[in-house]
Amino acid sequence: MDKKNIRVFFEKKDRAIYISHLDLLRTMQRALKRSGLPVWYSEGFNPRIYLNFPLALSLGTEGVREPMDMAIVEDVSFEEITEGLNSACPEGIRIVSAAYPVHPNKDIGFAEYETLFSGNTEALKAAVSGYISRESIKVMKHSKKKGMIEVDIKPHVNILSVSECENGIKVTLRLPAGNELNLNCAVFTESFLEYCNSCEVVAELCCAKRTNILCADGTSFE
Amino acid sequence: MENLREKIEKLLLKVKSPSRYIGGELNSVVKDKSKVDVRFAFCFPDAYDVGMSHIGMKILYSLKNARENWWCERVFAPWTDFEELMRENHIPLYGLESLDPIKDFDFIGFTVQYELCYTNILNMLDLAGLNVLAAERNENDPVVIAGGPCVCNPEPLCDFIDLFVIGEGEEVNIELMELYEEMKKSGEYTKKAFLLRAAGIKGIYVPSLYNVSYLEDGRIEKVVPVCDGVPEKVTKRIIKDLDKVFYPESFVVPFSEIVHDRAVVEVLRGCIRGCRFCQAGFIYRPFREKSTGTIVNEAKALCESTGYEELSLASLSTSDHSDIEEMLTEMTGYTEGERVNLALPSMRIDRFNKNLMEQLSKVRKSGLTFAPEAGTQRLRDVINKNIDEEEIMSACRTAFEGGYAGVKLYFMMGLPTETDEDIMGIADLAKRIADLYFNMKNRPRGQKLSISISCATFVPKPFTPFQFEPQISIDEINRRQKLLLDSTKGKRYINVSYHNFRISILEAALAKGDRRLGAVIKRAWERGCKFDGWDEMYRYDQWVNAFADTETDIDFYSHRAMEYDEVAPWDHLDYMIDKSFFVRENKKAKEGKVTKSCREACSGCGVNKASGRECFG
Ligand code: SF4
Repeated sequence: MDKKNIRVFFEKKDRAIYISHLDLLRTMQRALKRSGLPVWYSEGFNPRIYLNFPLALSLGTEGVREPMDMAIVEDVSFEEITEGLNSACPEGIRIVSAAYPVHPNKDIGFAEYETLFSGNTEALKAAVSGYISRESIKVMKHSKKKGMIEVDIKPHVNILSVSECENGIKVTLRLPAGNELNLNCAVFTESFLEYCNSCEVVAELCCAKRTNILCADGTSFE
Repeated sequence: MENLREKIEKLLLKVKSPSRYIGGELNSVVKDKSKVDVRFAFCFPDAYDVGMSHIGMKILYSLKNARENWWCERVFAPWTDFEELMRENHIPLYGLESLDPIKDFDFIGFTVQYELCYTNILNMLDLAGLNVLAAERNENDPVVIAGGPCVCNPEPLCDFIDLFVIGEGEEVNIELMELYEEMKKSGEYTKKAFLLRAAGIKGIYVPSLYNVSYLEDGRIEKVVPVCDGVPEKVTKRIIKDLDKVFYPESFVVPFSEIVHDRAVVEVLRGCIRGCRFCQAGFIYRPFREKSTGTIVNEAKALCESTGYEELSLASLSTSDHSDIEEMLTEMTGYTEGERVNLALPSMRIDRFNKNLMEQLSKVRKSGLTFAPEAGTQRLRDVINKNIDEEEIMSACRTAFEGGYAGVKLYFMMGLPTETDEDIMGIADLAKRIADLYFNMKNRPRGQKLSISISCATFVPKPFTPFQFEPQISIDEINRRQKLLLDSTKGKRYINVSYHNFRISILEAALAKGDRRLGAVIKRAWERGCKFDGWDEMYRYDQWVNAFADTETDIDFYSHRAMEYDEVAPWDHLDYMIDKSFFVRENKKAKEGKVTKSCREACSGCGVNKASGRECFG
């Protein structure tokens, strides 16, 4: 059988959120190795299990449905892949599904996040309104070519909902993702906390979670 | 109340490589606290990246956890960024498996692999919320123990540690913990009573049960037990049958990259060579091997349970395994099929023949390292590094023919009897290797020759024939380093690097130190010294101050020659080798006479008699 590309979706939470992107690659390669699945190795002098993450997840952010691409060289069912890999994954990482990839990586356009902030609910809600209704939201961003640069993220931050929750608020939002323009969730959470600080609202980030990855046309990345 | 885990997690995103501080790695052992009788905090007094690479820790971790009602956890020295946050937020040092403070454990055990981690031991005890001084800790505090190669001279650590485990730990650790469990259950336990009974176990040294007296000139007069039932000499433990000893079937697999991130099988213990500077070569005697079958089985089990892509066959001298070729053939048969890289550290230059070379290069091409240790044959004879120039050249030729264009050579500077000729000999050797390369018709094409010379400073160590030797002075080290640089000038393919010799001086003092150095170590730690083995962290000035504060003369320890009949600080510990053998070897060294390897002829070190087993046959 020729090699077949497979895309699995996995969850990354609890202590696994402290695994960096680079370390995740090794972690998953080893999990695949332990699983005994018939995976495809890259060619060359030092063959490695082929793996690719269409969109990196930053350290500290939870992932609910993160894609990972791999390839197999023998016929195995999607269930076997899911179960095999799950039996070999460390705590906090769980495969939710496996399928043939539908979209190429370049189709990725957005990602959706859920963030929880603790503090006074009313004050926090007001802070979100204040934060987003400003003329511009300037943040410092690292650029590969120019080093640290100031950018306005206002046109890109799309707040989807603000709701109350235990000890604070839950904010869901959509940010651009992919090759063209990629904004980390931390760009939002940090600038929001900074804003809170400037208007003396006590706030603390409790959790940041990527809930989905979308194509540029708004459909789910599959 | 906020639990410890929450407190830790709040800080993790502020530090480098946070996955080191939160546990949850694959194969880490988590137990139900309510069903556990003895809790053991296995501490490696250095960073996670270093400690997690250490094989001894993996063995004892799995061994102890094999008992259902014992729980052994891992603890490492937090790097300075996290330590600062821990102190600021009142987070005590905790075990990575339970995230519970180790202050509440039954045992805190340190493995002491090198002298330069001593201040980290104090720092970890302090971070745990314990007094660093054993005498100041109270009844309910854990029993603090230490083992590992450095405790062959544990004297500088006596102020801080309740008891030392001398020699190989697999059996004695179990006996010690069993005694503890028994005494706790029967209600006989008091720390004092436990220590006294532990001192009766072979291989356990309880320093508080010995008195040291000194001569007027500062040397030791004698070391005597304070009461009956305490042995005059503590004899190290060894495992008689290495082929049957416990070996873990799985390793904890870290998320972040560590120094040696791979599966490791220990293939043999001890060494048949008698390099006169090498402490490991003597304290791990006698030579014992695992059989090829055992090695291959252990390797397979580990690769399967970890998913590692690299396997290392570790020992002091892997190529001395009597069945090495067969073993490699079987091993590569497995690893190639599984696409696992096979790493063979500790290959002897004189065993580096074509056959081994082929086995190696089948798997991976990486740089080659050799350790001639000295630049001239005369000096190599003095240190008993039984390699001659022809062997070095032929190994290099094999390497070049095999497509390698780089060799890395390790040397030591300041060896006993060393002269300027020996230093220049290092440069000459490098040049002759270069000549060999340039004259070879079939040398690797398209690659530039590179000969790296890495120079360490000789450190005299206890339980070696050179234990009597002084270290050379700083000025002299400086002069010899410059001499080597001058003699390699203009050769662009030669690249010389040095270890920080200011670290070596401290290493010598701590290695040969006595109980009085405890005050110096404590003072240095109070002055902020930690991670002394890390170049960027080492603070020589603070150590100098610590010696001055305590009115201790570092030269007395590092730069003074010891008499053969002088009482050494470690003489009440018995590593099964007769002191008369070390004296004999020291005299032979001075005469430039070599001693054969144990496989060729027994030179009567005494370990066969002491261990009650013949070394070979
Ligand atoms: S007793 Fe003889 S063979 Fe055995 S280690 Fe000592 S010198 Fe070597």
